[in-house]
Amino acid sequence: MIRSSSSQPAVLATNLGLHSNLFATVFERLQVSTRLNVLDMGFASPSTVQFFNQFKCKLHFVDLYAEEFIANPQEEATHDELRMQFKAALNLQPDLTIDICLFWDFFNYLDGPALKALIAALEPHIGPDTRGYSLGLLNGRTSLPYYQYGIGSLNNLSQTGRDGDQPPIYPHSQRDLNGMLGYFEIDKSRLIPDGRVEYILYENRSKRPNAGAIF
Amino acid sequence: MIGPGVKIEGQINSDEDLIVEGKVDGSISAKSHEVVVGKSGVLKANIVAKVVKVEGSVTGDISGIEKVVISNTGNVLGNIEAPRVTLEDGAKFKGSIEMDPGDQAISELPTTASGAVKAQLFGSENEQAKAS
Repeated sequence: MIRSSSSQPAVLATNLGLHSNLFATVFERLQVSTRLNVLDMGFASPSTVQFFNQFKCKLHFVDLYAEEFIANPQEEATHDELRMQFKAALNLQPDLTIDICLFWDFFNYLDGPALKALIAALEPHIGPDTRGYSLGLLNGRTSLPYYQYGIGSLNNLSQTGRDGDQPPIYPHSQRDLNGMLGYFEIDKSRLIPDGRVEYILYENRSKRPNAGAIF
Repeated sequence: MIGPGVKIEGQINSDEDLIVEGKVDGSISAKSHEVVVGKSGVLKANIVAKVVKVEGSVTGDISGIEKVVISNTGNVLGNIEAPRVTLEDGAKFKGSIEMDPGDQAISELPTTASGAVKAQLFGSENEQAKAS
């Protein structure tokens, strides 16, 4: 289902904190003593950079939200064409393995084929210990504010209004999302009071962790 | 200082602090000094310096031996490498940031961290209480 973003409420430019009980689990089992590779689908947030100043790390800010093929999707694009567009936009070194993928709410701006193409483009960079964090919608009636996100601390995220026009929205149920994520699996989920849902993703090619929803 | 009316193409090696308000295409090296790209500065250049502060526009890679600061008017497209990097609110950056705080780096996992480390990771005690 596609939903126009024109009816979305205006958002504030100020930081609206988002309390998270799940985000800290992204760091479980990670070897933070070695260099962390973090992929952020948005552009650089001052708070995220400040947070990771505490770690030996490399942060990759790719801001896929701003890509032309996201703002104006071409319905006739094939899977391979979309995958190559994502690969070019990600511009990651071939041998890079990502430890943490900060998807934020980006999946909501992708229809099924585009989401599968993104997952395919990322596959060479996903290892058995890769973790992901994303935000979804409980149902198609839930509004999605046009935010950019950052990390304040492990249980407090930052969200501020994003400039520009909000791309078309494609709400996905948890079941549909799980089906499109391929080698990722939703390991934990939690309902946020405004109707959004936060997800923790684990790579599941080599093992299948105990999947289960909190709510 | 490279003034706003100056355009330089080529390699700049500086043995003193440098302020760039003009245009530079090439590279800047000031390994023992500070380079400030002023608000009117437009660089298509790689920068290596002890401290780099960007208030203008840089397309290129930045290496800071001590730190790199992108101010609220700064706009950087490229890769940054420094022990510490600061983005001020309003700064625009796309690319990668590689940081290594050295001995100050946190090496404990959140679940095993204690005391000051946990406070750094989780924020204030109030936030910790809400999370538990």
